[in-house]
Amino acid sequence: MQVFKLCLKVLKKNIPTMLIYIVVFLVVSLIMSSALSKEMQADTLFAQKKSNMAFISEESSPLIDGLKQELSKVANFVELPDEKEALQDALYFRSVSYILRIPEGFTESFMKGENVRLKKTTVPNSYSNTYIDLSINKYLNNARLYVRHIENISQESLVQHLKSDLSVNTSVELKNKSDKVGKHIYANYFFNYMSYSLLSVLILGMTALMLVFYNNDLRRRNACSPLSARSINLQFILASLLFTVITWMIMVAFCILYNWKNSFNLNTVYFMINSLVFAFCGASISFLIGNLVKSANAISAVTNVVTLGLCFISGVFVPLELLGDSVLKVASFTPTYWFVTGNNRIAKLAQFNHSDIEPVLSCMLIQLGFALAFFAVALVINKKRRFQ
Amino acid sequence: MIIKVKNLVKRYGDLIALDHLSLSVNEGEVFGLLGPNGSGKTTAINCILSLLSYDKGEIEIFGQPMTPDAYNIKRDIGIVMQNVAVYNELTVYENIDYFCGLYVQDKKLRKKLVDEAIDFVGLGDFIKFYPKKLSGGLLRRLNIACGIAHKPKLIILDEPTVAVDPQSRNKILEGILELNRQGATVIYTSHYMEEIEQICSRIMIIDKGKAIATGTKDELKAMISMGEKITVETYSLSEEQLSRLRKLPNIASAVYKNQTLEIKSNKGQNNLETILDFIKREGIQFGKIYSEMPTLNDVFLEITGKELRD
Repeated sequence: MQVFKLCLKVLKKNIPTMLIYIVVFLVVSLIMSSALSKEMQADTLFAQKKSNMAFISEESSPLIDGLKQELSKVANFVELPDEKEALQDALYFRSVSYILRIPEGFTESFMKGENVRLKKTTVPNSYSNTYIDLSINKYLNNARLYVRHIENISQESLVQHLKSDLSVNTSVELKNKSDKVGKHIYANYFFNYMSYSLLSVLILGMTALMLVFYNNDLRRRNACSPLSARSINLQFILASLLFTVITWMIMVAFCILYNWKNSFNLNTVYFMINSLVFAFCGASISFLIGNLVKSANAISAVTNVVTLGLCFISGVFVPLELLGDSVLKVASFTPTYWFVTGNNRIAKLAQFNHSDIEPVLSCMLIQLGFALAFFAVALVINKKRRFQ
Repeated sequence: MIIKVKNLVKRYGDLIALDHLSLSVNEGEVFGLLGPNGSGKTTAINCILSLLSYDKGEIEIFGQPMTPDAYNIKRDIGIVMQNVAVYNELTVYENIDYFCGLYVQDKKLRKKLVDEAIDFVGLGDFIKFYPKKLSGGLLRRLNIACGIAHKPKLIILDEPTVAVDPQSRNKILEGILELNRQGATVIYTSHYMEEIEQICSRIMIIDKGKAIATGTKDELKAMISMGEKITVETYSLSEEQLSRLRKLPNIASAVYKNQTLEIKSNKGQNNLETILDFIKREGIQFGKIYSEMPTLNDVFLEITGKELRD
């Protein structure tokens, strides 16, 4: 097993470089995954936001005070001078998005049941203003009901009634299709990002190994030995596979350790299988690149171009939903696309029937197909190179 | 007979690298392949080792046909390539151990052989060094150690002293002779005729892929018509004096150029005494005077009409 041991020694020599990649990628993956999982969780929660508004009243009354108090639930009040230019500037620079003006005599007209109008100036197409409109309408429509049906109602009494009516809340509960799905957000993103780091480390390691192993002078020296070419190649493949599996194990172990609580389920098992299949595919790509790269200086450049290129178009950095159809069509000719698609499908798995699993398995099979294709091309190039 | 090559032909397109080359190497000899750069020495070695396919010919090593999968034959061959072929990722010791391990499986025996090889090339102080830290001469010695550690019966060295300082070169040449004394048959290729003359018991001169002469160094020198060569450094020599010199007995040629008089004698003749008498008689003032016997370069020059280093 001289060649096998030699390969491991060569790989060991390259550990510092690969370790830098592993650590950097794992940290980045962690940060990105955590940030994205928080974002995903935020998407499933409702939180009311307040917009900034200017409340300008040309008169003072309990009814208007009540309105202002009601509006404070959906808006932050910004004090502005009642000058045209100052108000326009405030809207232009977005220090407020809504200006409400209560004209003089509004309360008196309203209490008499006359038609009244409030003046508003808003930032165009601002959805947050709708909340303010709704609140104003709700307040005034309710007030009008009291005014119409209770004769000579005092403003203080009216405000009390409105306060108690508008404080009634209804609790709403949002339900997902499955509670389990949310648990795999982290694993989903981690495994997607893992394709980048795994591919980078595999290409770096395998290419460095092949540059040494397929050095012309060394290869000729090995060819003069009584060790058969078949034995040499077998030992080389064995060492490469071991390297691939160890790299995969390190990355998966990291994911499980970080996500310990949510890791012991079938989804994680499928994530692991999918990533192992992708690791073999990555080893094939690395073997192909190793046959094409001719100098150590080119390794980093090739690694970055290949991994970033594959990952950008395949939904690793940008979710697949945000990519255009033409990009997705191109991406479907890359193994990373099928890896990411597989992960996304696994993350949504709540049941594990044959029909649920089938789409995931098909993604894995396509990746295996890619692995075989890359390996076959690499072998052809390798053979051609050997006879040059 | 250790190696027998018959009518070996190797073509690269229209270029004939080896043109019906035949040679035989006997057990226990140091066989030299001498020729200028591009004469086909390395191609011949690569064909003999089955590293290159060839168009025609037969190659036998240890009495068996040599093929790429003749692993029994390869087990007894040690090869030292022209380019240093060692792993930069392994230390000196690990490199020798790796290459020795391709031939010897037994760990104890291998350790003994590796230690012996390290002693043999004098790299004992550098066993933990990585090749990149070694000087050119030490690197060449490591290259040799990797090729000979398993104690092969046949050692093929393809220009092992290229770009090596004189001290390391002498050490390498002494080592090769020692290996031969220990029983190994050696094939040594070089374009340095001094090295070939120094260590080879039999020499083949090749040019343009063809063997142009084979024999011991004395046999090769006996093939040419030239005898002793006398060189005199003198500042003035008239045409008349040169003409009178040329008429002396046994003088094959006399040329005066750049204040140096070069006189070549006929084969088997010594003229030093006659020339000294002539210089004294003519009152020619001279600086240094020295005499030398024909070299392999002279043999190559006479057969091919060009210098070995052209």
